[in-house]
Amino acid sequence: MNLTRRDFVKSSIAASAAATVGIPISLAAQEAVKEVEAGWQWDKGACRFCGTGCGIMIATKDGKIVATKGDPDAPVNRGLNCVKGYFNGKIMYGKDRLTQPLLRMTGGKFDKKGKFYPISWERAFDEMEKHCKAALKEKGPTGVAIFGSGQYTVPEGYVAAKFMKAGLRSNNIDPNARHCMASAVAAFIQTFGIDEPAGCYDDIEVTDTAVLWGANMAEMHPILYSRIADRRLSHPDMKVINLSTFSNMSSGIADTEILFAPSGDLAIQNYIAREIIKRDAVDHDFVKQHCVFATGPYDIGYGMRATSDYAFDAEKDTQINEVRHKLSKNEAIAQRREEGEVVEQKNTATAGKHWLIDFEEFKRGLEPYTLDFVAEVAKGDPDEPIEKFKQKLKVLADLYADPKRKIVSFWTMGFNQHQRGTWVNEQMYMNHLLMGKQCKPGNGAFSLTGQPSACGTAREVGVFAHRLPADMVVNNPQHREHAEHIWKVPARTVNPKVGSHITKLMRDLEDGSVKFAWVAVNNPFQATANANHWIKGAREMDNFIVCADGYPGISAKVADLILPAAMIFEKWGLYGNAERRTQAWRQQVAPPGQAMGDFWQVLEFAKRFKIKEVWGEAPIPGLKAEGFEDGKLPDIIQDAVAMGYSPDDTLYDVLFARPEFKKQFPWPDPVAKGHANHVAEALGDGWFPEKAMFEEYASFGRGHAHDLAEFDTYYRDDVRGLRWPVVDGKETRWRFNAEYDPYVKNGPIEFYGKAMKALPSGNLDGVINAEKTSLAGKAKIFFRPYADPVEMPDDRYPLWLVTGRVLEHWHSGTMTRRVPELHRSVPEALIYMHPKDAEGLGLQRTDLAWVESRRGKIQARVETQGRNGMPRGSIYVPWFDEGVFINRVTLDATCPISKQIDFKKCAVKVYKA
Amino acid sequence: MKRIIYLLAAALLSLTAAHAEQGVSSEQLGLSKTNVRDAPAPPLYTFSTQFPGTSQRLPRAYPGAPPQIPHNIDMFVPIKMGANQCLGCHNNPALWGQPLVQGIPTPIPKSHYTDLRNAPDKLTNQLIGSRYVCVQCHTPQANAQPLVANTFGR
Repeated sequence: MNLTRRDFVKSSIAASAAATVGIPISLAAQEAVKEVEAGWQWDKGACRFCGTGCGIMIATKDGKIVATKGDPDAPVNRGLNCVKGYFNGKIMYGKDRLTQPLLRMTGGKFDKKGKFYPISWERAFDEMEKHCKAALKEKGPTGVAIFGSGQYTVPEGYVAAKFMKAGLRSNNIDPNARHCMASAVAAFIQTFGIDEPAGCYDDIEVTDTAVLWGANMAEMHPILYSRIADRRLSHPDMKVINLSTFSNMSSGIADTEILFAPSGDLAIQNYIAREIIKRDAVDHDFVKQHCVFATGPYDIGYGMRATSDYAFDAEKDTQINEVRHKLSKNEAIAQRREEGEVVEQKNTATAGKHWLIDFEEFKRGLEPYTLDFVAEVAKGDPDEPIEKFKQKLKVLADLYADPKRKIVSFWTMGFNQHQRGTWVNEQMYMNHLLMGKQCKPGNGAFSLTGQPSACGTAREVGVFAHRLPADMVVNNPQHREHAEHIWKVPARTVNPKVGSHITKLMRDLEDGSVKFAWVAVNNPFQATANANHWIKGAREMDNFIVCADGYPGISAKVADLILPAAMIFEKWGLYGNAERRTQAWRQQVAPPGQAMGDFWQVLEFAKRFKIKEVWGEAPIPGLKAEGFEDGKLPDIIQDAVAMGYSPDDTLYDVLFARPEFKKQFPWPDPVAKGHANHVAEALGDGWFPEKAMFEEYASFGRGHAHDLAEFDTYYRDDVRGLRWPVVDGKETRWRFNAEYDPYVKNGPIEFYGKAMKALPSGNLDGVINAEKTSLAGKAKIFFRPYADPVEMPDDRYPLWLVTGRVLEHWHSGTMTRRVPELHRSVPEALIYMHPKDAEGLGLQRTDLAWVESRRGKIQARVETQGRNGMPRGSIYVPWFDEGVFINRVTLDATCPISKQIDFKKCAVKVYKA
Repeated sequence: MKRIIYLLAAALLSLTAAHAEQGVSSEQLGLSKTNVRDAPAPPLYTFSTQFPGTSQRLPRAYPGAPPQIPHNIDMFVPIKMGANQCLGCHNNPALWGQPLVQGIPTPIPKSHYTDLRNAPDKLTNQLIGSRYVCVQCHTPQANAQPLVANTFGR
């Protein structure tokens, strides 16, 4: 037996301790490996869970997955997985997998109040067709919606978006990724004119400093944290700072832990910028050559409904701030106003507008952010002496302001799920750009993403209410034209009016403006804040809700029709992680029962729509766009006929199974290496649909700085994902940097993103000169002020509530809670609280307590020890547990620019159950 | 008793012929057998209170899966820089290759002393930094019955 090390690693697992590192093991042990693994077939894949994007190896035998392991060849994780990563296989084998469509019925007929009964796929599509067409007839394209996902594979997201935007002409498709990184996107587009990070994970091994801002990486990105830990333990100068509103696992290897008050991060960042300028540490050459200064309005509201018509009585005092807000003392200082001033929120619809200012104005904005003021605003632990807190802030400023020190800032939900999420993201770029510490190895502001393909699918494909592939948007006529050209559909097919973001889709169901909704690869009725409203919308309004899932979660429970979905390794797919790395896997095993891939579900449903039914004139309330009659999409059926289509062609014929695809991308395909494809086989018309759709999608980005490699490349044995742009077969590690990025034409640094690169100019208070100045090739340094969270603790609701994930469970727990080992690790969601707070409420560890806000209440058990150390005045309750449905308590305020919900800040009371 | 309830729940969920006739209510679906508007009182779970060395090793989920922790670790977490108390007992290369004995700590394996990123063929005498936070892979297990059965490996 003559095995290379690599072969050996891939072929063995039983003696994994030795085998994964190629250490000689005894013959007896090798024999044991062979015996355990007899008949095992290994193939590569990507982890189903977080945005880190670890590579895994999957072993199958007799049509079942028998093992998975960290892929030793994957640069992301080099053979490691976190505890849930090891259960990528086991999540698919819970006994209550959905295996047939279920419809609520009474007497064999659909009945919204009925119980669920098994039906055929044919009947399921009949019902969907009936309700979808009725909704289109009554409301037009805005009456239908898809709740999409950052866990869709790339091709799944693409066909769902294409079906909606080119087929039904509706922009009401928005992903759960809106809850995850919309603020990061808005800040990328506003700052750089192009989405996604400049740097990559390689930064970790070459930096001197990692600052975690609202990113509990030890739990939420464990393998990236293990890379930081490795750097911290092996590089003597490495420093780690953990900023958070409570003490968490990520403080373990930190040199300094800074606990700040909710939204205090806005003030701390301005303090750092002020220090950088005060110490004259600014990299003036970098700023002069590559940056401009900008700001925007402050009266932008909080992303809530503008009307109180739907608010519970108790929440009206929070909701009124959407209309007018009274400035606190801290806000008055931070925004150069008077305490107690009532500010009408006039820019809620124009929250993202911004204009150029000069450096002097920028400095004037920062002036109030002295150490004394910021410490007062931002200190998060009432038991910490203020001088100690100030000392920590100085340490932090020292690290940023040291021109010789390399520094990477990481953040996730602490910044993104933030009522000023876009602002706080932009402030991070502010400090990196001021110091010239951006897009260089070991230097950069690095936005981590939560979901496995929030970048690859939701963002890059554009599965959002406002987006098209490759950073294009529906409200730009050139972008629509480009998409219509690639999609081979008539001009003016694509609806120019931005659709409803995911939280607005919930509001639309509640107020009756959406009548048909399809949930895929996510659990929005558990995941969306202020859930009591949305459950009412689902169950009490006249609408039809479809939920496709592997297991029944809360969204399935409130649906009218449940579709059984194929899970991760039961289908072909590609994911894109937080460092722009696209990774692929083949179908490993067949889906159980009648479960089918989401990709197939969309294509099969598309067969139900003839273009004459969906491409006629259609109402779009509020549509105003050049070339369009107000409030209407034009009839394009004759234009379609002129292009050679028949009015009786279906959306499946026109958008998906086109003759050229069947010719160019036949199934079977040698890239499969004997693996099946249940989607291609069920469609049965001889094409490889995932490959065809991937290649069509990739044509949007090639040549536009979003280049993906060819489909087959990602499946090569010697490829473990590639970071886009992939140009001439080479991936790009640091964008905007001529040394690494072939798109840089005017080096050494060029911020070549094209969006929002011509601006009017003015001062801190507004526009003075409306004439637009071009800032091609440059990035923006924004001044953004501190603002209080819209709802803060008071006498009635005296505690802050923070929510989030735990290491052992993924999102709403529908997969990981069905793995006994993970369930035993964290069997339920607990209320983490400070022992003194508990004592004051007469509560002890493990006692049952109620957590109640203006919006709802839940019961859970108290924990005063363990992994999270809460400061007095603050509690943490994770959201994975459907039995502890914490999103009935949380507030649905969003960042007004990004529309991402802030799950980290609302006021509650706790009392003994 | 609890086990019987779980088994019943699992049985209810596999959609049998009876369901085709009687239907399934939303309360019968999912992991919490409740109406989505209810706020049920969660059960009380407990973790092992046994000291290290006094408990039985737990079975691995499958060959190669990380072993889970059978003893109490309240005193050992959080794991801090320079204060990883797991190492006190488990950092013991002398036990490599020897049969596991009840009461003797399982030694951290050779893979954890090999830097897979930078020098994958070199065994060192130090735990690699990327393995430092043990609880990212190894966690204590509560006395919780599975919410539903899992057929992986069967």
